[in-house]
Amino acid sequence: MKKLSFIFVLISVLAALSMISITQAVAQKESHKDYGDGAMSVPECNECHQGQGIVPNHDAAWTKGHGLSATRGQSNCSDCHQQSFCLDCHTGGGIDAKLSTRNYRRDAVPKSHRNDFLEIHPLKAKNSPQSCNRCHDQKYCTSCHSKFKSEDLQFRSHRRQFRDIPLSSVGPNHAIFTEAQCRTCHPGGLLPIHRWAGDHAVEARRNLRACQTCHSEGDVCIKCHGARTGLKVNPHPRDWGSVKDKFKSKGGGRSCLKCHDKY
Amino acid sequence: MGMKAWRVLSYLLLISLLCAANAWALEIRGRSSTQFLWFNDYYNGREIELAQYLRFAVTNIDKDGKFSIYGYGRVGAFLSNGDRENEDRGNGRLYYLYGLYRDIGGRLDVKVGRQFNNLSSESALIDGASFDLKNVGPVGFTFLGGRNVVFGLNGEMGHTGDYATGMAIYLQGFPNTDLDISWFRKWDEYDVARDILGASFKQYLFQNMKLYGNARYDIVSEVFSELLGGLRYFPTANLSFTGEYYQSYPTFDTTSIYSVFAVNRYKEALFRADYTISEKLAVNFGYTRQDFGDDDGWGNVYIVGFTFRPFDVLTIDLDYDRRTGYGGDLNGATLEANFDATPQLRLAAGVAYDVYQRDSMTGEETARNYWLGARYKMTKSLSASLRVEQSVNKTYDSNMQGRFTVDYDF
Repeated sequence: MKKLSFIFVLISVLAALSMISITQAVAQKESHKDYGDGAMSVPECNECHQGQGIVPNHDAAWTKGHGLSATRGQSNCSDCHQQSFCLDCHTGGGIDAKLSTRNYRRDAVPKSHRNDFLEIHPLKAKNSPQSCNRCHDQKYCTSCHSKFKSEDLQFRSHRRQFRDIPLSSVGPNHAIFTEAQCRTCHPGGLLPIHRWAGDHAVEARRNLRACQTCHSEGDVCIKCHGARTGLKVNPHPRDWGSVKDKFKSKGGGRSCLKCHDKY
Repeated sequence: MGMKAWRVLSYLLLISLLCAANAWALEIRGRSSTQFLWFNDYYNGREIELAQYLRFAVTNIDKDGKFSIYGYGRVGAFLSNGDRENEDRGNGRLYYLYGLYRDIGGRLDVKVGRQFNNLSSESALIDGASFDLKNVGPVGFTFLGGRNVVFGLNGEMGHTGDYATGMAIYLQGFPNTDLDISWFRKWDEYDVARDILGASFKQYLFQNMKLYGNARYDIVSEVFSELLGGLRYFPTANLSFTGEYYQSYPTFDTTSIYSVFAVNRYKEALFRADYTISEKLAVNFGYTRQDFGDDDGWGNVYIVGFTFRPFDVLTIDLDYDRRTGYGGDLNGATLEANFDATPQLRLAAGVAYDVYQRDSMTGEETARNYWLGARYKMTKSLSASLRVEQSVNKTYDSNMQGRFTVDYDF
């Protein structure tokens, strides 16, 4: 129903704008071919644009906002740029690399991938969780993360190693003890309840893509969330009942069968 | 070298030979870039690689000048293969190779081959065809479909049964208004992995305002996977203010187990100002408030940027950004200078300095990066450049990498 409403609203807007503007002559937009290829500088462009009531573009905000201008069917990017201009950033090409352009291995990378991006990218990925997917398929993340040990990735919920757990809010952590000393404080191997359940759920809901980068098939999730064995904790969203049939029909039930015997 | 890389190389060489055939009536333009790269690969140690890029455009193939062919690709070969043994020493990427026939009947553009397409619902690199039907009253239509191409670290990662298709209808001929509605579907090994409706619009108002938005609706999950709305106000050509709201809901391929999990909606509100004070100085400032859900899922991002042009031949860019809140803290800046010493020679240098802490249980880390570069134009069509970079960070005490490039425009 929500989908139908969405389509209806969009078509209505389109129709309304068409009706309002139907008397306007159908004219092509200004061609910029003569201005491209260095023939005109961006400040010169903006002088003209302002006179036309068009916002200055290709400024510092352009990297974030250019996608919207490029999506339109009749975008005029190609008046000045070849497709390589898009793909040099989106797929790592480097034929027009500037002196400032960095490489990650053989691939040229955009300016956003600055300074030790291997370490900093989890922070940058948080700034706009969808932005990674503009250029990288999920398989790209997995192909790299699968080469790491899980404890190297340093998620809070994953740092369950005894060495990192403090004895108290002000005390030292367990790193000062040896394995032979464990039973001094934990007779019979008795452990207090750790915070795994709560912490990992919060992180997973906020940042599920990060889980997928290492546990690509979700095998570790299924141990507790599967329908066949384990704790059988239901992982589905609240509206699952209304959408689950689509996962059966569209995805061939592939994701269903990972936890359920039938779908 | 793998067969794929050889095949790409063969195509590129063949096209290079064609380029030399000036006697043809065709117009052939393009660039050849030969790059010598040295770097530390995190997994495989020190590597040295020779890469050859080729980009070309063949136009005026037919009498009316409507048919053109465009191509862009890269082949590379390891000269020193790090710690790897018995691995493929070559690699290649074909970014695009398509033929374009414009204005069939004055209304239709047809593009066949590997190509990048960008709809409001999704973008995709496909091996297939796209059709752009234009000048049909106030609207135009786009249709596309083909094999979905996915690049990984070392080459293509797709498999049999990966396809993508899409279509769009868009307003045409309205100088102050853009609007389009699109649909995109992706298959993963013959199963429908994504089904997305998208829309985008832009409206200029009062000669100094731009209203814009973008929506992506995931048909399978019945959620808006992305929603963007913004207003940009530009009282003068040199000054603009932007306010933006964006939200996203993580969605996954239906074939992934992660598509069935409950997740939080991410929301952010952004404000930024851009002011070009004079030809010599431009500044920008931005603040983003992020909401990852729950009581403590907040983040703040501040950015400040300056561009100085004390002389026509010297440009200095300084950018600072600070992030705090859920997910970690980052305090970082970059400084970059470009100096045209002569019309033929450009010198450049830069520094990046970041202090970050990924979460409360990890320590604070510092990453530094310094680079120097020079480009020399020997002739109008021939230039060479050198870039050398040194990094000091958590992973490396010293990581020197660089590239030497020779570009030839034809």
